[in-house]
Amino acid sequence: MVSENPHLGNQPEPLQEDSDTRPLSMTTRRGPRSLPPIPSASRTGFAEFSMRERMREKLQAARSKAESTLLQEIPTPRPRRLQSPGEKELETEFGAEPGEEAQKTQQEDDSQSRSRVKFRDSVRKIKTKPPVPPGFPSAEEAYNFFTFNFDPEPEESEEKPKAKNRDGTTQEEEEGEEEEPPVQGIHKTDEQLLISATEAEAFLWGLDHAAADFVAVRPADYESAHVRLQMEKELLFVPSRLTVPTYKKLPENVQPRYLEDEGLYIGTRPDVPRTCQNIMENRLLTQEPGRRWFGDDGRIVALPNPIKPFPSRPPVLTQEQDFRAELETLYKKAVKYVHRSQHMIGSGDSPGNFQLDIDISGLIFTHHPCFSREHVLAAKLAQLYDQYLARHQRNKAKFLTDKLQALRNAVQTGLNPEKTHKSLDTTQKTINEYKSEIRQTRKLRDAEQEKDRMLLKTIIKVWKEMKSLREFQRFTNTPLKLVLRKEKVDQKADEEAYEAEIQAEISELLEEHMEEHEQKMEAYRAAYQQWKAWKKAQRAKKKKKKQAVEEHPEEEMGEPYPEEDPVKPVPPEPTDRALMEHQVRERAARSRRRPGEPLLVPELSLAGSVTPNEQCPRVEVLRREDVKRRSIYLKVIFNDKEVSRTDSRPLGADFRVHFGQIFNLQIFNWPESLTLQVYETVGHSGTTLLAEVFLPIPETTIVTGRAPIEEVEFSSNQHVTLDHEGVGSGMPFSFEADGSNQLILMTSGKVSNSVAWAIGENGIPLIPPLSQQNIGFRSTTPSSSVHVVANGRIPPFLCALKRADAISSIGTSGLTDLKKLAKWAAESKLDPNDPNNAPLMQLISVATSGESYVPDFFRLEQLQQEFNFVSDEELNRSKRFRLLCLRSQEVPEFRNYKQIPAYDREIMEKVFQDYEKWLRDRNVIETKDHIDPHRAMVAKYLQQVRESVINRFLIAKHHFLLSDLIVEEEVPNISSEGSGILGLSLFKLAEQKRPLRPRRKGRKKVTAQNLSDGDIKVLVNIIRAYDIPVRKPTASKFQQPSRSSRTFSEKHAASPTTHSPTHSADYPLGQVLVRPFVEVSFQRTICHTTTAEGPNPSWNEELELPFRAPNGDYSTSSLQSVKDDVFINIFDEVLYDVLEDDRERGSGIHTRIERHWLGCVKIPFSTIYFQAKIDGTFKIDIPPVLLGYSKERSMIIERGFDSVRSLSEGSYITLFITMEPQLVPGESVREKMSDVLKKFDSQEDEKLLQATEKFQAECALKFPHRQCLTTVTDISGKTVFITRYLKPLNPPQELLEGCPNNPQATAELVARYVSLIPFLPDAVSFAGICDLWSTSDQFLDLLAGDEEEHAVLLCNYFLSLGKKAWLVMGSAIPEGPTAYVLTREQSHYLIWNPCSGHFYGQFDTFCPLKSVGCLIGPDNIWFNIQRHDSPLRINFDVTKPKLWKSFFSRSLLYPGLSSVQPEELIYQRTDKAAAAELQDRIEKILKEKIMDWRPRHLTRWNRYCTSALRHFLPLLERSRGEDVEDDHRGELLKQLGDYRFSGFPLHMPYSELKPLIEAVYSTGVHNIDVPNVEFALAVYIHPYPKNVLSVWIYVASLIRNR
Amino acid sequence: MAAAGPSVFLLMVNGQVESAQFPEYDDLYCKYCFVYGQDWAPTAGLEEGISQITSKSQDVRQALVWNFPIDVTFKSTNPYGWPQIVLSVYGPDVFGNDVVRGYGAVHLPFSPGRHKRTIPMFVPESTSKLQKFTSWFMGRRPEYTDPKVVAQGEGREGENAEAERLKAAQLMLPFSSQ
Repeated sequence: MVSENPHLGNQPEPLQEDSDTRPLSMTTRRGPRSLPPIPSASRTGFAEFSMRERMREKLQAARSKAESTLLQEIPTPRPRRLQSPGEKELETEFGAEPGEEAQKTQQEDDSQSRSRVKFRDSVRKIKTKPPVPPGFPSAEEAYNFFTFNFDPEPEESEEKPKAKNRDGTTQEEEEGEEEEPPVQGIHKTDEQLLISATEAEAFLWGLDHAAADFVAVRPADYESAHVRLQMEKELLFVPSRLTVPTYKKLPENVQPRYLEDEGLYIGTRPDVPRTCQNIMENRLLTQEPGRRWFGDDGRIVALPNPIKPFPSRPPVLTQEQDFRAELETLYKKAVKYVHRSQHMIGSGDSPGNFQLDIDISGLIFTHHPCFSREHVLAAKLAQLYDQYLARHQRNKAKFLTDKLQALRNAVQTGLNPEKTHKSLDTTQKTINEYKSEIRQTRKLRDAEQEKDRMLLKTIIKVWKEMKSLREFQRFTNTPLKLVLRKEKVDQKADEEAYEAEIQAEISELLEEHMEEHEQKMEAYRAAYQQWKAWKKAQRAKKKKKKQAVEEHPEEEMGEPYPEEDPVKPVPPEPTDRALMEHQVRERAARSRRRPGEPLLVPELSLAGSVTPNEQCPRVEVLRREDVKRRSIYLKVIFNDKEVSRTDSRPLGADFRVHFGQIFNLQIFNWPESLTLQVYETVGHSGTTLLAEVFLPIPETTIVTGRAPIEEVEFSSNQHVTLDHEGVGSGMPFSFEADGSNQLILMTSGKVSNSVAWAIGENGIPLIPPLSQQNIGFRSTTPSSSVHVVANGRIPPFLCALKRADAISSIGTSGLTDLKKLAKWAAESKLDPNDPNNAPLMQLISVATSGESYVPDFFRLEQLQQEFNFVSDEELNRSKRFRLLCLRSQEVPEFRNYKQIPAYDREIMEKVFQDYEKWLRDRNVIETKDHIDPHRAMVAKYLQQVRESVINRFLIAKHHFLLSDLIVEEEVPNISSEGSGILGLSLFKLAEQKRPLRPRRKGRKKVTAQNLSDGDIKVLVNIIRAYDIPVRKPTASKFQQPSRSSRTFSEKHAASPTTHSPTHSADYPLGQVLVRPFVEVSFQRTICHTTTAEGPNPSWNEELELPFRAPNGDYSTSSLQSVKDDVFINIFDEVLYDVLEDDRERGSGIHTRIERHWLGCVKIPFSTIYFQAKIDGTFKIDIPPVLLGYSKERSMIIERGFDSVRSLSEGSYITLFITMEPQLVPGESVREKMSDVLKKFDSQEDEKLLQATEKFQAECALKFPHRQCLTTVTDISGKTVFITRYLKPLNPPQELLEGCPNNPQATAELVARYVSLIPFLPDAVSFAGICDLWSTSDQFLDLLAGDEEEHAVLLCNYFLSLGKKAWLVMGSAIPEGPTAYVLTREQSHYLIWNPCSGHFYGQFDTFCPLKSVGCLIGPDNIWFNIQRHDSPLRINFDVTKPKLWKSFFSRSLLYPGLSSVQPEELIYQRTDKAAAAELQDRIEKILKEKIMDWRPRHLTRWNRYCTSALRHFLPLLERSRGEDVEDDHRGELLKQLGDYRFSGFPLHMPYSELKPLIEAVYSTGVHNIDVPNVEFALAVYIHPYPKNVLSVWIYVASLIRNR
Repeated sequence: MAAAGPSVFLLMVNGQVESAQFPEYDDLYCKYCFVYGQDWAPTAGLEEGISQITSKSQDVRQALVWNFPIDVTFKSTNPYGWPQIVLSVYGPDVFGNDVVRGYGAVHLPFSPGRHKRTIPMFVPESTSKLQKFTSWFMGRRPEYTDPKVVAQGEGREGENAEAERLKAAQLMLPFSSQ
């Protein structure tokens, strides 16, 4: 405050200035804002006041700057004094005082305040606007007066008088007062506070202050509606609703034009309320003076109504609608189908009566069988005469002559140029045109004249003939008479005219010829010049030649003349006038009447008399009588139905029949055809159809009364011969006596008739509506618009037509032809703007624009072309399209192609390459993959068979059974065992939902159709193994084995043999014999168990292997054809201490793990798939030689299981394999196929087949799970009785010679031979479709087959060896249902596994055959009806009927079925050289493969070892892999003493290369990564007859011992 | 477009199985899964889902509201085999067995934006009256081996289905290409 004091002195002046303006402002403003002049100013302390004033001043300065009128706002103290409610509010803010000072200093900031003030000003400006009601100031004063009293401060009373005279006092006074020394400090401060509070608020809330300021002071603001309206009037514009007078909307002095009145078509305007239009018009008028929005008629320009009369979309159902309403079925009464073709009148049309009047007046025969010769001539004459008359009427010759004359005149005038004003060019051109036309016309005229003359001549000739005929036959049949009337002509004039004509013609011709000559001369000259030049050149040449010849005469002859010698052109001959004249005259003489010759006019009359009957010869009389007997009638056929017929009228002598009948056809349908049939009745005999006459259906304009009588010709092709004068029909006859010049005439004639539409009572023609008639109309416009006059409804466009009289110009039928209509419209120059014509024009425009082009052919997909976005060729070129097509065709390569690229460019060409190659090569035998040509052929054959089979069943695959899709409870059946009796199943309901001891439920089977990769897993549970080979300690390496030789009897004797446990002592106690683990590999996925210890390890581990179907196709057929095997390999984990320095042993362990392959079990995936689970103990396939391991067993084991174990050789593993989820094997396909299979015929006896069915049914009833087989399907699909397959067949001689005196050894050899034939399950080759049995020779040719084929062959061999052998149908592990061979030795039975060649005793626990269903011998089938089916527990004595139910028994005797097998098997010796070659190739390929599998290591081959192995392999083959191990080991050790050697030979039948590679891979030999490892690999192939190859592969790894 | 694979477009779906109207049933839950063609592959999100059990609302509508979210993204090279969402609704019958109450499928919307689809649901019918009774009695109604078959045409010829109620699934689908 103190700081501000110095300014005080300056303050008054500006105030002064301000005060000058104040009174002004007071008067002008006087708003409620500037309420009372308050004495408060006096109360305020000076300092404070001045300070405040200063502030005010500053504000005012700003204010004055802005607007002078606003300056009055200053009355600073006064408002504050006012105790208006707003002020009171402010008073509450007393507490804000301390902040005031700071506020004020802040206030110094000018810009801030100014901006605030400015805002306030602007607000005020608005507020001051309202006018003050009169007398308000007095009220103000009164208010002031009263309010003063309320002031509580006593000081206020002092100031009262001041306030009272405030109005009157000058501002100076006030100032003076204000400048009074401040007495009332406190009050001042009060005041100050008050102000400052408001001020502070203002400063704090810049905007609010202003608002608060105003609001505070003003009473309720009222503006009368009137005022407001006034105000709004200035701001707003309300367009009037009144109609705008037209003149306002148009330019000055322009009369409105109404186009519609002028006859122009304007469309319908959209419907807009009149008021809206008015408003818009008013608005437009005021808004823009321009009148461009108004049309000529003074209305707003508008487009035609865009709204279609019909919605183009069906109404959308609302969501809220009740769902029941949507699902509800509505009953609709059956509607009779109305055939909407043109035969019927549409249901919408009124079924009017339409009437067609057919007037048949008569019939004239132009030929009839009963015609006599004279009649024929007469008919001819009449015809010619008619022709003559017609020609005469037309008189074309005359017309042409006149034309010629006119043209000649024109040429004459044209030739005189002075007469014409045309330019020369044009005249010349026209003259030329005329001339050519003259030529043309002349020719025509000549032709016409000639024809006329010819006709006349013919008439005369015929008449003469007739006359001569009449004379000849001496009677007349016809009243025909020809009179030739001569018309005299003026000979002279005629001659002159004739001559003139000829002259004119000659001159013209001459002229022509001259022209022609000119042209020819021109050509000639040119040619001549050419020739001359050539001649000259020739001469010059010749000269030269001559000289040359003189010089070298001998060469003359050799010189050939130039070949082409241009002929000397002949000049054209000039025309000879005389010659031409001669020609012209000759022609004239021929075609024209000679001058002076009288004009001949023939007249035909019927004036002649017919010779009466009695004067005629008999034949003629007969003819006449015949004619009389004949009568004719006509049938009227309407739309192929007879509707009426005429009376039968007799045939007159003149062969005319008069009917004169009118038929009124009341028709309902549009006439399709209208036919008259001419029938002839001869006497009382039957009628014959002579001919049919087709009448044209009249146009709609033709109505009764207007129809002309028309003659419609008809003819028939009947052949009639008569025995009288009648010439017959279709028969040759002649007028000449010698019979030459024969004529053949057919019955023909004319029917004169008229057909017209009837006219109804009210004059409307009874014509069916056009809509029936026209298809084109129907397709383009709604047919309702085309109903015709007859209906009474007249469509608009027809009205238009009527007015324009289109009907009269083109006929009503023209309406049906839009083209015609359009043409007519174009011709008649319809005014397209005429509103009357608008619909018609639209129709025509639619019709002529191609849209409604009605083709006259039918096309199935008529819019196809429009939808073809690309041409076919281009489409075929598209790789993407091709890929999509191939995929949808399920071509194997593409069946499961994922993500076909979106663009062509992204598809690699090589995608197709394989497929195309396959297509190309499918018939070419590829030997590369198969090495062995024979097998390649077989593979190809199998492939083809498979393809054809698969193609046949692709459809079956797509056909799902209901059970494939829907899981449903079976029908409760009382008899069936499966679902049980209905009552029983109900009983089940009573069971507890969750029993305490739950029973195992079968897993849910999954149909393989919605599976994908990763969904299927193969679970392998490895439980334990027995008798794993154990490592041989190095110490015992020279030990000789104890069981060096075992006899056959030893193996099979029931008594245990003693295996001397000599070696057991060698093992140091506690040393680990072997550390086996199992590795399962499937589809190159490998899992392995942990390592167990000892030769009898127990793992009990579950391994899970994912299964991937080929190409991701999980369909049944695809799964069935999976050929992958599950390899279960047993390895020994060997730890080698590689620590080199013993001193480090204390601090670290450095071992290397090696694994040695011990053996494997191979289970095909198809077996797992079909068996669903495989559970059992399997023999481990251990190579015959396992270097470093011995198959010894410890004493303990031998003691425990001696009696059973001793029989079995080798190691065993217990496994459980299944799939998760369980897949339904392709049974469904088979079931589906059974229908197809039944169609394959069988050559078996019907009775036998019935018996088999009965037998099978009986067996199934007793033991449903036992396999019973009576008939099988052979390779051609025929059903064959099974015993026909069994027949003794000779094994290869080579095998028999092997050990001639040991039958058992021979048997084993044979079994081995059979097992060497590769195994290929039918399910794989034929994708599970059916089980086909091939005969043994087919089997040997194919060199592939499954158990049945092997078993059959083996059985046949055994039979031929003289053994008692049967086929055993049963189930085994792991194969499932299979076929084994049973043989009976002296005292016991042996079970042979034909696929492995192994044999087992009946009581061998490790025999894989687990159940026996039936036995099949060559002459009978025995079904196992014993309680048990395990071979251990059954009796194989088939003679006991209580144990074995035989098929052929006493009731059904064996009929002696012939075998399907060949008489004898012929074996070719296998080419040894080829085998050797194959051996080399396999070895090479395998070596390459091993190197491929070791990409990161160097693979070294030890050749020395390889050759050693190679020598050893044949030895193995000879001994069949037995008993050579120790010798071999010793030998190897001798040779490779410083190597640590691990390896083994593999043995397998040869089918393809792939299994060999797989086998080698699965042993994991290549996995050794010891740096200095070396490998050895030897292959040996032993060929057996018939291309059966036994393959040995010896793989070994060598590590040099340090 | 990556050099490795063909150019693809993406179809992103998010939405929800909103509610159903099964006036006769209560306490239903719903499963959804997608069926799509060979050229399609899901890239993100859940392909299958199973909702909570919902009870009928007490008002007149008697709606079963799940509001069960769906969010999945597919990629494809080819519009052929456009994904279909397959819904199957299950609930207890009078004996407390869980039985199927409806199957239904609908194509995913083809245009981006918010779509609401109402899917008619149906269940296969028993092949005979007797089976119908027993299946009702035993609580083992006929059902599809796989709900996905409702989106396929193959092999559906012989099957009877009882058309049942409606059900609304709301799908929002921002659609993006490449």
